[in-house]
Amino acid sequence: MRKIAGTLLGKSVAGAVRLRGKSSAQALPGLVVEKIVPGYLPAMLKQLPDGVTIITGTNGKTTTTKMVVELLRANGKRVLTNPTGSNMTRGIISSVSQQAKHGGKLPFDIAVLEMDEAYAKHFTTMLRPKFVLGLNASRDQLDRFGEVDTVAKLISETMLAATEGIITNADDKRLSAAVREAKTPVHYFGVSPKLLKFFPRDDELVAIDASTPTLQAADVPLAVELTDFEGATATYRLGKTIETVPLHVTGQHNFQNAAAALALVRAIMPDIEPAKLIKQLELVKPAFGRGQTFMLKDGSALQLNLVKNPASFRQGLASYVKVSTNVMIAINDRVADSRDMSWLWDVDFSSLQGQTIELTAGSRAVDMALRLQYDAVPVKNIEPDLDAALKTFCALPGDKVIFASYTAMLHLHAALERKKDL
Amino acid sequence: MKLHVVHIYPNEMNTYGDRGNLLVLEKRAQWHGLEPVIHYYSAGDLFPKEVDIVLGGGGQDSAQSDIQKDILRIGNKLHTLVDAGVPMLMVCGTYQLFGNRFLTVDGKEIKGIGVFDVETIGGAKRLIGNIAVETEEFGTLYGFENHSGQTRLGQDQPELGKVARGNGNNGEDKTEGARTRNAIGTYMHGPLLPNNPQLADGLIRLALQRKGATVQLKSIDDELAVRSRQNAAKRSY
Repeated sequence: MRKIAGTLLGKSVAGAVRLRGKSSAQALPGLVVEKIVPGYLPAMLKQLPDGVTIITGTNGKTTTTKMVVELLRANGKRVLTNPTGSNMTRGIISSVSQQAKHGGKLPFDIAVLEMDEAYAKHFTTMLRPKFVLGLNASRDQLDRFGEVDTVAKLISETMLAATEGIITNADDKRLSAAVREAKTPVHYFGVSPKLLKFFPRDDELVAIDASTPTLQAADVPLAVELTDFEGATATYRLGKTIETVPLHVTGQHNFQNAAAALALVRAIMPDIEPAKLIKQLELVKPAFGRGQTFMLKDGSALQLNLVKNPASFRQGLASYVKVSTNVMIAINDRVADSRDMSWLWDVDFSSLQGQTIELTAGSRAVDMALRLQYDAVPVKNIEPDLDAALKTFCALPGDKVIFASYTAMLHLHAALERKKDL
Repeated sequence: MKLHVVHIYPNEMNTYGDRGNLLVLEKRAQWHGLEPVIHYYSAGDLFPKEVDIVLGGGGQDSAQSDIQKDILRIGNKLHTLVDAGVPMLMVCGTYQLFGNRFLTVDGKEIKGIGVFDVETIGGAKRLIGNIAVETEEFGTLYGFENHSGQTRLGQDQPELGKVARGNGNNGEDKTEGARTRNAIGTYMHGPLLPNNPQLADGLIRLALQRKGATVQLKSIDDELAVRSRQNAAKRSY
């Protein structure tokens, strides 16, 4: 009864919202269903034969979820997932009610859901997931998520709620330590010792002498290992199989995310041939605003990168900035961006020395330029207005990279999709 | 001329971008024609012999209890430096440890070194937002506060300044931070010094005065900081 009532309610609210032309109100049907039909979500998800898989962690959730969903689909699974940017209950309820049949049946085998650290923990009290992938715990927007130990604890508790398998990062000392005694089988992904220097951990990001971090390979067997990467190709080892694959989703952090995705899919579907699985990564395209490339009318490419904390900013700088690239940095200070600018001072921008940043933009354009001043990186233009900044930036010849905080990314993404005069 | 800056507990107390305060002091000292020498002091180390400025940052609760034993060990040394007029900037967690004691939410007592006659009680509510503070010596200071500890000043303990916008020490008495001789304790992150270059230069000037140096500070192009302060003045909590 609950399944039918909630589904019909969700569908009619979604219909009403669409009629009023507010396509962005993804969460509203979920909000209404949550209030009127409590227990709807667990009741619906319990029907899925392969249950629920949760993907959580500080960085890489959206990209990794996209990879996992596409790999599972390529191997015949019908996958329910949550739309990008709505990883809270209401977004999930909205998509469940809209994708269910009118009789309340969900025509899927498995749900793969991206959740932020706090919500994931809460979700496990409603429904035990079969698999949980905990990607990493890093210092994030401290005004929203709290300190890194708090974040690691939330992720660890979520992982320990898994009934069939835990997948986590062997190189994240907080997360790997937390699951060492788990009763559920643990599948680790990691990088080979020679690559560790490209993947500084949270404590090393702010260590006083980052050039000599105490890098130690994790002493656990790896289900999936990133053994090498060069340019846009990455090499993975699954068991005895070693395979190299060219990826659309580039950047060293995404090669690490792909290792996580492989480990999770392998745990869910252990019978897939490893070499075939690795090859399938080639098909995956970057997720919304996460290294997504737009072609501009002059034929140049513009890459849009979300940066949301020191780790993701540092990874973006290391992966995407070449000497010849034009760079714009757009920083807002709404709640979803972090209202506190402190995090910008935990990013080392000295790798940009010798370059001029074309533009800083967003409500904190001046703060960003001030940050760069102290790393001796000059800024040509400061333009708080994002549309004006984008227009100026797109008029430059050559390839371009934008680093943008969350709401700035959403704004720029929408403008780039419209592509008016760009 | 050398300017010895000691950053205490850089690995344990480093949340909230407080590394930025050190970077600002280091760069501004260079721009003023000085030769900054950065010393990192971690638990168990010998305290550096030459000290002109001391900086401390915020930390996670776990880190705070880890370093408590060590800070009590070097408490006398720090008191001597404060008495000698060494300028210090202690933010958030180290501000609390420079007080008399900190009572955590779960009732644990963390003893401090008592440079500031203040006491902090862990609160259930976090005070988070853009803060502005009026001081006599350094004018308006802009920062971002994010703390659950509520701090009360002892009767004769001067504050750093009066809260113009935000909560400050406890959200009630309009005080923010504490000042003992040239040592400053504060809840202001942001980090504090980039948006308040007058305070950064103030710390450098106090350090030079104490050394008896007659170095004239140079004029620095602070146009970006001036603009960021204009924006900060208009921002809401």
